Amino acid sequence: MGNELIGIIGLALVLLLFLTGIELGFAMALVGFLGFSYIMSLKAGLNLLAKDLVDATASYGFTVIPLFIFMGQIASHAGIAKRLYSTAFKFIGHIPGGLAIATVMGATAFKAICGSSAATAATFAGVAVPEMDRYGYDKKLSTGIVATVGTLGALIPPSVTLILFGMITEQSIGRLFLAGIVPGLLIALFWVFIIIGWCKINPSLGPKGERSTWKERIASLPEVLWVGAIFLVVIGGLMMGYFTPTEAGSIGTAAVFLLSFIKKDLTIKAFFKAVSESLHTACMVIMLIVGSAILGHFLAVTKIPMMAADWIVQLPFNKYIIMVLISMIYQLGGSFIDDLAFMVLATPIFYPVILKLGFDPIWFAMIIAITIMIGVVIPPVAINVFVVKNITKVPFSVIYSGVYPFLISLVVVAALLFVFPQIATFLPSLVMK
Amino acid sequence: MKRVLEVIKGISRALHFFAGVALVFIVVLTSADVVLRAFKRPILGTYEIVAFTGAVVILFALPLSSWIRSHIYVDFFILKFSRRVQNVFQVSTRCMGLFLFFLFGWNVLKYAADLQRTGEVSVTLKLPFYPIIYAMGVCCFVQCLVLLCDLIKIVRGEYGE
Repeated sequence: MGNELIGIIGLALVLLLFLTGIELGFAMALVGFLGFSYIMSLKAGLNLLAKDLVDATASYGFTVIPLFIFMGQIASHAGIAKRLYSTAFKFIGHIPGGLAIATVMGATAFKAICGSSAATAATFAGVAVPEMDRYGYDKKLSTGIVATVGTLGALIPPSVTLILFGMITEQSIGRLFLAGIVPGLLIALFWVFIIIGWCKINPSLGPKGERSTWKERIASLPEVLWVGAIFLVVIGGLMMGYFTPTEAGSIGTAAVFLLSFIKKDLTIKAFFKAVSESLHTACMVIMLIVGSAILGHFLAVTKIPMMAADWIVQLPFNKYIIMVLISMIYQLGGSFIDDLAFMVLATPIFYPVILKLGFDPIWFAMIIAITIMIGVVIPPVAINVFVVKNITKVPFSVIYSGVYPFLISLVVVAALLFVFPQIATFLPSLVMK
Repeated sequence: MKRVLEVIKGISRALHFFAGVALVFIVVLTSADVVLRAFKRPILGTYEIVAFTGAVVILFALPLSSWIRSHIYVDFFILKFSRRVQNVFQVSTRCMGLFLFFLFGWNVLKYAADLQRTGEVSVTLKLPFYPIIYAMGVCCFVQCLVLLCDLIKIVRGEYGE
């Protein structure tokens, strides 16, 4: 049996094992070990297990993942989101749909310090939905927008998705962070337009809120400035080469902690909860990386990624059509497994294809991030919708009907990225020459 | 049996606590290093201490993360079957996990023993690698115990509740 066939059987086995309810990282590690041992030797396979586990966990570079997760968890457990929302509300709450727009603005600002989609959705479900209820907003709009704004976490720095992509493909995390800013803000802007348009067609969806005075508005601004300052120091320090990504994560965590501490926002109990939840998430993500590393070594000896690249490149299709097909594979795979896990599984296979087709890896990361953004709010595995449902107790059908209009902007921005890749690439080229 | 489950959970929680301390330690150490670097007094060896501590963060957190099933898994397929068939799937996946983590643990301990024998140390602080690697191996065996507890819970009809 040729190594290529063993590789294909291995990949099929991974997908089959996924269906049995085994932890996805464990399945990848197990098949990777068995395949590598079969092709090389049992001794080589056993050495690979130990080495990949140690390399992925006792690594300075990988500590960036728990640190940025920790930063987001502290921000979620403190009252930062509430104050950001309140500031946005003071400026925009008095227009139709204003509270939903304030949710978009507040969450976009919150994303600057929280890289997790689900954590943002959970935070704003607790902060913004009760306010929108108070003003008589339709549940479809209030829960739909809260589930959707969380997805920005995949694109706006410090995105855990982009960190993971950078780790797998050895791309600069700084460049990826910079590339995500403009598409992320563009998507947020489109959401604002969609809310305005939707409320114009059906004003009962989002009634006007109270108008604040300019004095109140200006008095609320320091809340945003603090978050802006932390973002600038963390991301700016990373861009300028002053920090490593691990240092940026540490400084950001320390700064968010100090801000919450000074504002008396973070109880001891909430702090312990933030630490504990960070550990669970970080452990889950790193075990996916360990599994992917072991499976990746197995696939490398089968030469499947290189063969896939050669085969796909010679297909009689335009390279953009191939790229659309690859995005659809990510979408489909993510729908049945988990978007982040599928990215970890599929990227080592498709990344050589992307390079061979001549696409910019940073641009590819943005397309994949938007694909994941769509994946976390559409069935069957819509983690953000599950989170919002658990907190608000609104039925799935209502939340989904509120989510779909906002998906238009994700598709539009993805299409714009195909036509104008500079939307993603110009900022990294400008700042990090 | 209940006592066994409680003891293993207790060990997992204790390890989880140390993982939390390690995470906070990384934040404090790295932030202090960045600040002191501005005054041209960086903390020597921060890079390697953080790498070692990173291993503690992940491996020490692993058993409790598995206990509460915080890893990503797909259940929509097995949920289509009867409870009995679901149990067969769950026993199989727990056994596969046991096999994997036994191999992880055994080979990580062997790797640690190699490092101890060759006397390999870190570049700056000359710290030996092997104690952390031994600890990682032990955590893999605690993970095996957690998976064994899962089997007990499946038999007692308590798994996933």
